[in-house]
Amino acid sequence: MKSVIFFDSINISVPGREIFRRLGYRKGITRIGEDQKELIEDYIEYALSLIHLRGAGRRISIKEKSFSNIVLSNGIAFKSKGLSKMIGDCEEIILMGATAGDDVIESIRGDTEANQLARGVVLDAVASEMVDASLDWIVDYFNRDLRRENKRLTKNRFSAGYGDFILENQKVIYDILQLERIGIQINENYILTPEKSVTAVAGIQSRFSDTGRESESE
Amino acid sequence: MNKKIKINNILKRRPLVLDGATGTELQKRGMPPGVSPEIWCLENPHVIQEIHYDYRKSGADVIYTCTFGANSVKLGQYGVSNVGERNKELALLARHAVGKNVLIAGDIGPTGRFVKPFGDLDFEEAVNIFKEQARGLMEGGVDLFVIETMMDIQEARAALIAVKEITDKFTIVTMTYEKDGHTLNGTDPAAALVTLQSLGADAVGCNCSTGPAEMIQLIAQMKPYATVPLVAKPNAGMPELVGDKTVFNMQPRKFAGYGKEFVFRGVNILGGCCGTSPDHIRELVEEIVNEKPVAPVRKAVSAISSSSKTVVFERNNPLRIIGERINPTGKKALQEELLAGKMVLVRKMAREQEKKGADLLDVNVGVPESDEKKIMAEVINLLSAASSLPLVIDSPSVKVVEAALRLYPGRALVNSISGEEKKIKKLLPLAAKYGAMFILLPLNDRGVPEKAKERKEIIKEVFRKAQKHGFTKDDIVIDGLVMTVSSNPQAPLETLKTIEWCSHSFKCCTVLGLTNVSFGLPERKWLNAAFLAMAAERGLTMAIANPGIEEFMSIKTASDVLINRDRDASRYIARFTKTIQEGEKKAIRESVSSSDEIFRIILEGNRDEIESMLARALRESIPAQKLVDDIMIPAITRVGDLFDKKEYFLPQLIASAETMKKGLACLDPYLRNDRSAQEERGIILICTVQGDVHDIGKNIVALMLNNNGFEVINLGKDVSAEKIVEEIKRHRPAIVALSALMTTTMVNMKKVIDTVRNESLECNFMVGGAVVTEFYAESIGARYAKDGVDAVRVAKKILI
Repeated sequence: MKSVIFFDSINISVPGREIFRRLGYRKGITRIGEDQKELIEDYIEYALSLIHLRGAGRRISIKEKSFSNIVLSNGIAFKSKGLSKMIGDCEEIILMGATAGDDVIESIRGDTEANQLARGVVLDAVASEMVDASLDWIVDYFNRDLRRENKRLTKNRFSAGYGDFILENQKVIYDILQLERIGIQINENYILTPEKSVTAVAGIQSRFSDTGRESESE
Repeated sequence: MNKKIKINNILKRRPLVLDGATGTELQKRGMPPGVSPEIWCLENPHVIQEIHYDYRKSGADVIYTCTFGANSVKLGQYGVSNVGERNKELALLARHAVGKNVLIAGDIGPTGRFVKPFGDLDFEEAVNIFKEQARGLMEGGVDLFVIETMMDIQEARAALIAVKEITDKFTIVTMTYEKDGHTLNGTDPAAALVTLQSLGADAVGCNCSTGPAEMIQLIAQMKPYATVPLVAKPNAGMPELVGDKTVFNMQPRKFAGYGKEFVFRGVNILGGCCGTSPDHIRELVEEIVNEKPVAPVRKAVSAISSSSKTVVFERNNPLRIIGERINPTGKKALQEELLAGKMVLVRKMAREQEKKGADLLDVNVGVPESDEKKIMAEVINLLSAASSLPLVIDSPSVKVVEAALRLYPGRALVNSISGEEKKIKKLLPLAAKYGAMFILLPLNDRGVPEKAKERKEIIKEVFRKAQKHGFTKDDIVIDGLVMTVSSNPQAPLETLKTIEWCSHSFKCCTVLGLTNVSFGLPERKWLNAAFLAMAAERGLTMAIANPGIEEFMSIKTASDVLINRDRDASRYIARFTKTIQEGEKKAIRESVSSSDEIFRIILEGNRDEIESMLARALRESIPAQKLVDDIMIPAITRVGDLFDKKEYFLPQLIASAETMKKGLACLDPYLRNDRSAQEERGIILICTVQGDVHDIGKNIVALMLNNNGFEVINLGKDVSAEKIVEEIKRHRPAIVALSALMTTTMVNMKKVIDTVRNESLECNFMVGGAVVTEFYAESIGARYAKDGVDAVRVAKKILI
């Protein structure tokens, strides 16, 4: 089992289109004035000044697998038909986690309390999309290394809380990735804080998959 | 002959040819998947030696040792600890395979971990990891070093510093770029070049990732700023999937066909990466052996860089602004944050200054009674990742400057080095070692000279000393020394004379810390702006100022046009077009009726305008109730319709709702007679259920309900069923609205409803949230609302 790789500052392009889409913007339908656009862009800019993307990833071999169970080389087992199906014949997986940090969440909280919801909702959307994009970045990072081994990550990612991959697994991933080192906590209900924190599992394969990406839980 | 001289001599005559791929050749020749190539080569030395020999036979001048992953991090994963010895053995294998007359390059690849500030690997630890490898390679007799396939500029810097601190051997650094022309960490080719060549790389370039056609574009971005030879080591085309294998399909002839264009575009050192073979290199040698390489176009470049951006100082460029805000002097909040190790304000100031037009950021963290070196390191780490602007390191402490320069993943500008004997002795070698530019402050141990003539002498003296450390005029920015006009009326003129002489006679970049000129006088911004315009005309390159001051930036923009630094006045027009439009809009609005304006203001969600427009309507004797019934409610209803049709999206809906709320609060004193309507509609209790901490969606619903005349009691998030029962007993609501974002917490909605029913309490339930469906709502005996607008509709159906 390889050691955890920590990314203390993930530098990504702002996923502007995804942020607007998350807020309900529909190209060709939604009409938005210049002033409104500028204000929203100011909010996005403010969000970016508060977001500090950090992440972690770890490559782990699979010891055994069946149609509903995956046993990792460290003995930990994940029970999920959905995850098993996605992993397919992969012999290794990558566990990954990322967070947008505390500051943006504090600001959303402050905006909510001050009834500044318009800004709060934009901060919320920016943080969600940025943390999601940071997982894409982690995938790109591992893919770069894997390319030399003629391997790559599955296009799909799977998250605890999705389908039959129960949320309790989030604690297992949390512990393996030592996510406390990047400022993430987990509570007794297996919810991660800061709120905009995510974890996911992807398989390492030697052939491309055409399937789409599964959702991640927040 | 010294190998460095030998390489430079070859480069004057013809391109230097590197070998091709090692990894894909090893796979072809039997290396199984999943092993460490370095360990496998030590166990199967004849295979790697055969590859080295084949490349030599193909005509390569330089053979890379098979040590790409031979650092302690990667070898450690296979249980290997004697890293130095392994590197030595692999270097000797290469030497024995090709003999003495071929150049052997000690190959250093990435550790696989990210270095601070981008990862958790401590910078000094990274330097030590690479030193351990480099020492082993030295013992194995390598002639030069190559640091390759780097995606993190900071890791490339750590490796380069490691090599440079143990040897002066010729060192090549090549980064690897993604399809968008940046490294995975966001560094573009020009920024990487400026950073690495100033840090002492003897050649810089790119390898892997792309085929030759794409790599030519990367080289084209570097050549204008290159002071060192450029290197290209492309793959044999872009990777393609055949069956379950990634293959590189470009045939040797086609690959070599790009050789001449590479040389023409400015590549001096050329080889092959993944998928290339000895045949590719043979064809390449034949293609370019008689080509004359294009020497670097510059001896020095006046430019600084961050990890993602380069700022070049050239005559006729717009005047550059160094944002001065990150300086705790006189800023109590910033002082407290820095002392507490918090960085929210620093990050905010950086981004605000960038947005307002700063080109560089000055970083001064001198707080009394603090560990300035530690704070500087933290701020450098933060800003390196949080801002794209290159940094100006501003500290009187040599130790602080050294710590900052070592850590900063770019080429920094040091603020400043003066003629003071003690400091100049320490600071010049430091700036030279890390390749920084520096601001030359024309003062010395005798103090600040009043006259331009004396300042010129100090400038010449400091420059003479700097030249001994390899600095050129392109590496220096001269401070014109701004003194206060209120204490010496001649002072600004002496500063202007200094600037003029530096720009036109000495021919060097210049800077002014402008605001000092106006100290002690009222309305300082005008003096600062006027002084800026005068200095700009004398040739000033950059000014340290607050880009947030509109008047100052406007004068700067205008000055750029008037002295031909803003061709076609494009920046000027862009800056002021919006002001013209605002003026026109205001004139139109004044001619429109207040009722129409109130409708528009709510439709546009303009919170800042609603109060004054309602006041105007009340002055015009329009009754408050009429404003609400005939204008505001139709306006917010229209907003709801637009949102339903997706012509509006969420921020517009909320902005309008908040404007409505503000308007209603403003009219409240005039509406007191009509309380009964709201009371009749009943109370709505709203919360996010237990276990769920998401509440922004729920708050939007509360706002929308409130605006539509419902009395809403918001209990917050993570609320237990017991607490909800308690609140129902207290408020007797007509509706309880429950929200949940996750499937795991959604089930608590049912628990709430069951608990309330068990207590025999009467109320309606409305549920919503990302994962909630109409089907689920019905299954637990609740009504479903998909969003805030729908919630109003559902509530009205239930209650009215």
